[in-house]
Amino acid sequence: MSKIVEIKKLLFDYIRRDEEGNVEGITTAVDNVSLTISQGDFVAILGHNGSGKSTLAKHLNAILYPTEGTVLVDGKDTSEEDNIWEVRQAASMVFQNPDNQIIGQIVEEDVGFGPENLGVPTPMIWERVEKALKAVNMYQFRSKSPNRLSGGQKQRVSIAGVLAMQPKCIVLDEPTAMLDPSGREEVIEAIRELNKKENITIILITHNMEETIYADKIYVMDEGKIAMEGTPREIFSEVEKLKSLRLNVPQATMLAYELKKAGVPLPDGILTKEELICHLS
Amino acid sequence: MFKDMTLGQYYPIDSPIHRLDARSKFVGTVIYIVSVFMVNNYIGYLIAIAALLTFIAISRVPIKFMVKGMKSIVVLMIFAGLFNLFLVQGEVVWSWWILSITKEGIDTAIKMVLRLALLIMGSSIMTLTTTPTSLTDGLESLFKPLNVIKIPVHEIAMMMTIALRFIPILTEEMDKIMKAQMARGVDFEAKGLIKKAKSMIPLLVPLFISAFRRANDLAMAMEARCYRGGKGRTKMKPLKYHWNDAVAFLIMCGYLALCIIFGRGVLE
Ligand SMILES: Nc1ncnc2c1ncn2[C@@H]1O[C@H](COP(=O)(O)OP(=O)(O)OP(=O)(O)O)[C@@H](O)[C@H]1O
Ligand SMILES: [Mg+2]
Repeated sequence: MSKIVEIKKLLFDYIRRDEEGNVEGITTAVDNVSLTISQGDFVAILGHNGSGKSTLAKHLNAILYPTEGTVLVDGKDTSEEDNIWEVRQAASMVFQNPDNQIIGQIVEEDVGFGPENLGVPTPMIWERVEKALKAVNMYQFRSKSPNRLSGGQKQRVSIAGVLAMQPKCIVLDEPTAMLDPSGREEVIEAIRELNKKENITIILITHNMEETIYADKIYVMDEGKIAMEGTPREIFSEVEKLKSLRLNVPQATMLAYELKKAGVPLPDGILTKEELICHLS
Repeated sequence: MFKDMTLGQYYPIDSPIHRLDARSKFVGTVIYIVSVFMVNNYIGYLIAIAALLTFIAISRVPIKFMVKGMKSIVVLMIFAGLFNLFLVQGEVVWSWWILSITKEGIDTAIKMVLRLALLIMGSSIMTLTTTPTSLTDGLESLFKPLNVIKIPVHEIAMMMTIALRFIPILTEEMDKIMKAQMARGVDFEAKGLIKKAKSMIPLLVPLFISAFRRANDLAMAMEARCYRGGKGRTKMKPLKYHWNDAVAFLIMCGYLALCIIFGRGVLE
């Protein structure tokens, strides 16, 4: 499988300056991170507040450039000026607040914004918009105002917006943080669908553990470093370590963990309710 | 109510005027405004009124929506009317104490009020039949020549689009902040100018902070979607002139000619 993202020894400093431009303080947000992601993978990134997840994500989209180390997206170095548009097209980004990333007055116009910027000819923009909206199941809302949609629907429009740019990889920075449970489910469902059907690489940053159990691989970040990596089952087997990193585990996993501590014979790393029931009966 | 403001005043139906290119509608509106300023006798006003009624009929927008637009300038119209009525010198027809009404005053007052009404209704035909998106697109394309003198036409149009999108969001947010601050005891109903201004601070500070944060996020989101200004950009809904735009243009020219021939000069 080809590699879509290759990060080598990435280090990034936020430098705060006072009014005269003198350095006041340095925050190392990402500290010596190396990882590779294969095309078509579903990767989740976990970590408590301020652990550097967003900073890492912004490197994949050439919004931030490495202080040290290199980031290759689809084989292209993001810190090279000439690659910036290709990188942004290959790895698109969906942000947390749907209101602050929808530009169009009408759903279809917003989805067309990316292809318009890429200079795609008009008839093909319409094709792409239709396909993207259908992929996230929002086609029937194409001529509505975004203000009239629910949070989950707005976020699916945002996903369609990046999808219309035909990316190989979509990076989502806490896309469900501002949504209610049913909105969350809608969005995660849409993301999984894209991953399975269109073979688009998904990099999902989240605080919600239940959303990560479908991932092929999970990275846990702490203070800018990668503290753990592995499949969901491997990660959630280490409840104690996760707790020390100030993270929760999915409810079913927690229950299984407590039951096991109390003497019930259960395997490590149970992820879903169904699995737990299956093992108990 | 503000949720609908995204679409501006746009009245979504299908009519020959709705189908015109935004640029034609803009040029037509300018011609109409010019004609209203040009005519100076009652025949001229009659022609302008007749034309307006015809356009409204063709646009199939209920006339009450046109009248709604006038609410905001009713006060202005009353003032303009009264001033002219009492202050214009000439042949006195009625007087009481220091007030006097002249024949010329009545004449100017009527024309002034008519002129204001025609201007507002005439331009609201454009805003009622054109989506804000195609209106900004149309303006961008019409003013493109100004690029030569270094006016960033595309950027201004993009700003208008974004403003239109965020007005309802920020209005809603203002509402929320207002309620939150009221719950903490801020009195927005305060009397007196200074008190009133002071009570606005707890509203405006959070609103501005949030607006800047949103602007920051939006800029990042636009960049992430490969926005790099107007250069090399294609349009999803490009503007195109059709034969009906030519017809509309000819009609407007004919109308302007009528106004010039019959609508000027004093007819006694
Ligand atoms: N624009 C900035 N300027 C200076 N420091 C910043 C900036 N953005 C983030 N930081 C700092 O960098 C570190 C990592 O922040 P980052 O936003 O990447 O964390 P995160 O894992 O995304 O957190 P969250 O879960 O809250 O979104 C934090 O210590 C934060 O204070
Ligand atoms: Mg973050």
